[in-house]
Formats: sequence, C-alpha cells, structure tokens
Amino acid sequence: MSSDVRPRYLAGIVRHPLPAVALLQPGRWAFPAAVAFAIGLAVSSVAYALFRIPTWAITVIVLLALLPVGVLKWREDRRRYGTVVMLLSVILITQGLHTVEHIVQWVQYYILMMPARQSTGLVSAANSEWVHFVWNWWVLLVVAVLVRGGMRGWLAMLLLAVTVLHAVEHTYLFVRHYMVLNELRALNITTLTAQGLPGIIGQDGWLARSPVTQGTFLCTLPGLTTAPRLDVHFWWNLIEMLLLLGAGHVFLRRLPQRAAVPVTRV
Amino acid sequence: MRLNSIASAAALLTLALAACAAPEASSSRASGPTVPVQVSQTALASPGPCEDRFVAHGLGVADGVRIREITTYISNGAGLAAGDLDRDGDLDLVFASVDRESTILWNEGGLAFRPEPLDDRFTRAVNVVDVDGDGLLDLVFTHRGVAGVSFWRNLGPGPAGARFAREPLPGVHHYAYAMAWADLNGDGALDLVTGAYDVELKNHGVPEPQIAASGGLVLYEQIDGGFIASQLAQRSEALAVGLVDLDGDDRLDIWAANDFELLDGHWLWRNGTWVPARPFEQTSHSTMSIDWGDITNSGQVSLFTTDMNPGDVSTSVIAAWLPVMSMMEEHRIPDDPQIMANVLQVRRGDRWRNEAAWRGVDATGWSWSGKFGDLDNDGFLDLYVVNGMIAANMFAHLPGGELVEENRAFRNRGDGRFQPMAGWGLGSQSSGRGMLMADFDGDGDLDVVVNNLRGAAQLFENRLCGGSGLEVDLFWPGSRNTRAIGAQLELHTSAGVLRRDVRTASGYLSGDPPRVHFGVPAGAEIQKLVVRFPDGATAEVSSPAPQTLIEVTR
Repeated sequence: MSSDVRPRYLAGIVRHPLPAVALLQPGRWAFPAAVAFAIGLAVSSVAYALFRIPTWAITVIVLLALLPVGVLKWREDRRRYGTVVMLLSVILITQGLHTVEHIVQWVQYYILMMPARQSTGLVSAANSEWVHFVWNWWVLLVVAVLVRGGMRGWLAMLLLAVTVLHAVEHTYLFVRHYMVLNELRALNITTLTAQGLPGIIGQDGWLARSPVTQGTFLCTLPGLTTAPRLDVHFWWNLIEMLLLLGAGHVFLRRLPQRAAVPVTRV
Repeated sequence: MRLNSIASAAALLTLALAACAAPEASSSRASGPTVPVQVSQTALASPGPCEDRFVAHGLGVADGVRIREITTYISNGAGLAAGDLDRDGDLDLVFASVDRESTILWNEGGLAFRPEPLDDRFTRAVNVVDVDGDGLLDLVFTHRGVAGVSFWRNLGPGPAGARFAREPLPGVHHYAYAMAWADLNGDGALDLVTGAYDVELKNHGVPEPQIAASGGLVLYEQIDGGFIASQLAQRSEALAVGLVDLDGDDRLDIWAANDFELLDGHWLWRNGTWVPARPFEQTSHSTMSIDWGDITNSGQVSLFTTDMNPGDVSTSVIAAWLPVMSMMEEHRIPDDPQIMANVLQVRRGDRWRNEAAWRGVDATGWSWSGKFGDLDNDGFLDLYVVNGMIAANMFAHLPGGELVEENRAFRNRGDGRFQPMAGWGLGSQSSGRGMLMADFDGDGDLDVVVNNLRGAAQLFENRLCGGSGLEVDLFWPGSRNTRAIGAQLELHTSAGVLRRDVRTASGYLSGDPPRVHFGVPAGAEIQKLVVRFPDGATAEVSSPAPQTLIEVTR
C-alpha cells in the first residue's frame, strides 16, 4: 500500500457504510461522464447510420469516449487514496462493466431467446476469445497487485484463486481457439471462426469428458460438467465480482489501521 | 463469525448438491393371475474362444454403395432386424437398404449366412414381427422417400428358408420412416405406430398440407385384421419410435424421437385415450434413437437417446464438425428442454433426470443406433453406439464428404455408470446406422450386427470372457400376439434380479428379435424366471439352467 494516503480523504470512504460504493462515487466527474457518454452515443449513432457498424463497435466508441473521464477520476483517486486503492477503483469499475457484458449475454440468451451464437453481449462479438483472454489476465494481474498491496483475508485469497482459475480457463480456450483455427485452415476453411467452444468446465468441457472425472461426484455437481458456456462464464464473472466487492469492502474498512504503518510503496 | 456461518452454509449446500445422486428406489409391479406354461430347454453351445474382445466379420451386404455421391437424406442409411424366420432355431437377419433391394441373410450356423434378395427397394426400417398372429414371423419395412409401409407375410418353410409374399396392410397408408409394434390397446392384437420424416418428404416435393395429412405420427390399431389409423401429431421428424412405459402404470406409452428442433412427442394412455405429455425436463435435440433397460438391476428402467455430440473433443475433430454445426440454425423457444447430447433418463422419485454426463455416455459422436445389452454376461446392461456421417452437401470439407468416427462400446461398471471399452474391438470406423444385438452363433452371448452406410455390414462375434447366457423365447399361440411382444421378464439370481422385455424395435430403424438374452455372471445361481405377459398374467419357471435356450409356451 502506498504511504502517501491522505487521511482526510480516506476517512470519507472508510466511514461510509459501503466504502466501495463511496470509492466509486463519481463526485465532480459525474457531469463530464454524462457528457462523454452522450458524445459517445452520438458519434456511434452517426457511425451506425453511415456505416452500419456492429454492436461491439458502438460499445467500443462509447467506452473510448468515457475513458478520459475515467482516467481523470482514477488519477484523482491515486492522489487521494494511493495507488492500491486507485487500482481497486479501476478493477471495480472495469470488472463491473465486464459483468454487465455477461449479464447482457445471459439476457440475450434466456430472455430474448436469441441463439447462442448471437448471444455475444456488447463487445465479445468482436472476438470472444481474445477479449476474454486479455481481460482475465488483466484482472489477475490487478488482483495480484492488490493482494501484494495489502488486500488480505480469506475473501481476497478466494478471489485470487478464482481469478487464477478463470485465467487458466481462458488460456485453455484461447489456445484451443487457435489450434482449431489451424485445423480449419488445413481443411481450406478460412471463413469460419472457432469461438465459443467449451472450456475446462461446463457442458462438453474437459472435465465432462475426462475419464478421470466421469462417474465421480464432480459430475453430479450442478453445472460443473453440464452448464452451457454462457452460464459458466456468467457465474465465473458474477462470483468474481461479488468476491471483489467483498474483499474490497474488507480492505477499505481496514485501511486506517494499515495507513498508520509505513508500508513499501508498490 | 458471520463469515463462518456463510462458509458452513456453503459446505451444507455442497453436501446437499452432492446428495442428488442418491440411489433410485426399486419398483414393484402388479401381478395378474398365474397361468400354466410349457417349458422346453435346449442347451446352448459352449462359449467360443475366450479372447476378451469381439471379432469383426464382413457380411457381404452393403448399403449405399450404388450411389455415386451420398447427400442428405440418403445419409441416414437403413436399419436391420433379426428373428428366427424359418423356425430352425437360429436367428436370421434382414437388412433394409436405401439404394437397392432388401436382403435376408439365412443363418446356416457357425456364423455362415446365405443371402437372399427380397424385392423391396429403398427401405429404411425393418421389423420382424408376427403381424397376423399365425405363429410365423413376418417382415415389415418403411421406405425412404414417399413410399409407405410394406408387409411381407411369412408363408411358412420353403425349400430354402421361409417364403414371403408381399401383401397389403389394410388401413396403413401414411408416410412412414420409423415404426414399432406392440399391443397398445390391450385387445391382444399387435398395433403399429409409425412416424414420418417430414424433411425428406419436402425434399421429394410433397407439399406441406399433404405431409400434414398423410404423414405425422400415426397409431394404427389392429382390429379384425385391418388397421384403424389415428393421427396423434401432424408434424413429425421421427427417426425412432419407442413403445415403453413412461409413467410407471405398467402400460406401454408412445414416444416419437424427432430430429431437428421439433420436440420429441410423448403420449400416455389415460382413461381410454392417448394424452400428449412432457415427461422429461431435458431431451436430446435431434433424437436419433431410443433404447431402454434396467441399467442398475434396481427394477427401474432407464431411457437412452442418442444425438450429435463429438465424443472426441480433439481440435481436429472439432474442426471437422465446426462447419456443419455453424450451418445449423438454432431455434430458441421458451422452456426448450432440448440439448444437443445423448440423454440418459433415470427415474428419481416421480421425475426423470438426465444423468448421461455423470454416467459417461452423453457424447459419442454423430450417433445413430445406441442400444443396451449385456455384452460381457456379467448381469449388467452395457451400451454400444454406432457413429459417423456421410453427406457431400454437409461435409464437403472432408474427404468423401464423410465424417469418420469410431463406434463406441461402454461397459456397465455395475452401478449404471459406463466405462469406455476401446479394447473390446467394437470401434469400427465404418459409418454405422442400424444396429442390433443378438446371439447369432448360439453360444449364449450377444453378438452385434451393424448396417453400415457405403460399406459392408459387419457382424461382431462376441469372444469376451466370463459368465454364461440364458435366452428365452416366449410363445403365446392362442393369442394374436403370438410372441408376447410387450412381455416383461425377470430372472431371479443370487446376484440380483435381471429384467428384460420383449419388443419389436429399438435403437435407430432396427428391429429386435423376440428372443430375450440374459447374461448370468460367473458363479451366480439362477433361482427362477418370472414372465409377465402383456395381459398381466404371470408364469414362473423354476431353476432354469444357465447356458440354455428356454422356450416358454403359454
């Protein structure tokens, strides 16, 4: 944890019944964020009208418009609370948005009854495997830094474990994605994508097909070897988000004690 | 402290979820009056050489080899059936064919077969069944395209084998792809259920209104030698028809296994009428075949359906499947119970639950016939599934337009979970469609016969080691159901109670012989055989000897 924490600002979030919520409050950045969002929407609407850009491009434009405001807000967080708390703020917002992505996918599939291949959320349609591979390694990196920076306790350790497993799952998916693409090229098929294949857990996944696990209690646990990929990743992210909120809550609550002790800057 | 409580609750939840796999309860069946029976026993041949594997034999019958390029729905191939057509004690074989006449293979003993063409072309399913109640097994075929059902009456023994004459089945006129026979209304005569394959009819240019009127899922009740048709559903993509008790009332119900997004159809007999039902929370999507059996020897029948789901998830296999899977339209409807996987329905209390994944049989490939049979004579039903697909219009990216896949054999571990048995030598890569299990060499174990598409049919001679067999032929000459189709048999042994039933059809397009096979584990003592005839009457045979063929005549 950074030793340049300013107790005056810290007290503001620590005294809040939900410190993470206090940390994420946009404060003076609310209006610029609203303006940036409106600009993003306007630009993407024009782009859609002119070029019929896909949903993922619309989402990317809106996110890019919001990014400068986010950077300013996080710079302020760093100045007020230190680097570690700023990183917590970053990961809470970005993983929150990522969870929204999975909620959208879930709504597309279960509420709007869209086919699985079209239930790709807001940005994953660009390339689900790339998006998720990069994303989950980024989350793991940030969580590791948070843990090193002082976010401790069993919730934080559980979060770290889940994040590691999630990154491993997406690495497996990413590698298989490219192996299948190579096989398709060998068959002279270049127009097909190999996204959305099963991973380690869930229906038709490695666990479901491994002779090591077949017939064991693992295959009786609901969803572990039977859930569709969309459900698997919805739950991965929801659990990860809840753990992040819990671990962040505990971390922020304990900040005053830790701030009193000089700690190495990260 | 609060966190400790959460952790405890999570642990309890985990235990509760793990407890979902509690053993199923055994059922008890109502018994009717006891009837006297005549019993004759014939010793079976001693088992052949013990090699712990099957040995493949070509049968000289090949389906689909006259067609230069196979496309849908020639790709669906044809079935086969078995029965003792000439009453010589051996089971004969009948092969349907999508590109030529059908063929009877007369069993001449020692796994030697003499082929005889039967002038019935472009056939799909075949059943061997005594339709007219004269005590002789007749032949019934469905056909590809727009032809309906054909009936070949067994005229009795001829100079070589039996003689057959094609005769009409009065009142049977709907398009048919899949079929099954049983006495569904309890009047003693065998009734017929057929299902059309709409997509193929459309391919042949049949207008949809005509398909709806002349196809569908049809129940034909046999009355005074004629058939009264009742159309249970206008839409049908039936690849299989199963006649099995779905609600535990000891009456056979109707199950139409539909291809594509059309939900499987189920009809239960309630208060004198057939009522549509949705008995399952989960079903296969493109249901290719149906089979059932007591896989745990608990008295509860489990139901198995096949579908398309890669059994091998190596990247090369996934790449071979992917272009086809990406072409398939996915139809989403609320509360759709369909999944693209094999499904094994196991009874849990009042509900059926899909336990295929846990029991290791949810993915076997592009699967056609999947059937239970005690292949290793250990008293537990094993499973065999035949796989593969040939369609130039679907698999243009693969050599010969063929998705080459191995057939898969699974040994029952003794608790209804299945273990792949690659070493059994049943992993043929020919493109299997129809398949059945029966004892063709009279040595007490089940051999396997597969009708392959674009390749020679194969007989896999059983040379597994251990156990012995007991086979039962039921005769009920005073009735119109002379082979007691629908009868339930229980073999009480010191190793448990084994249950089988007599049926005409199961799997994919395949007719079962009326001869029932029990595997008797080595060292087990046989106490009695209990037969429950279709009218509820029961008969007992005390202490039948193992390694015998028993004829029970009521």
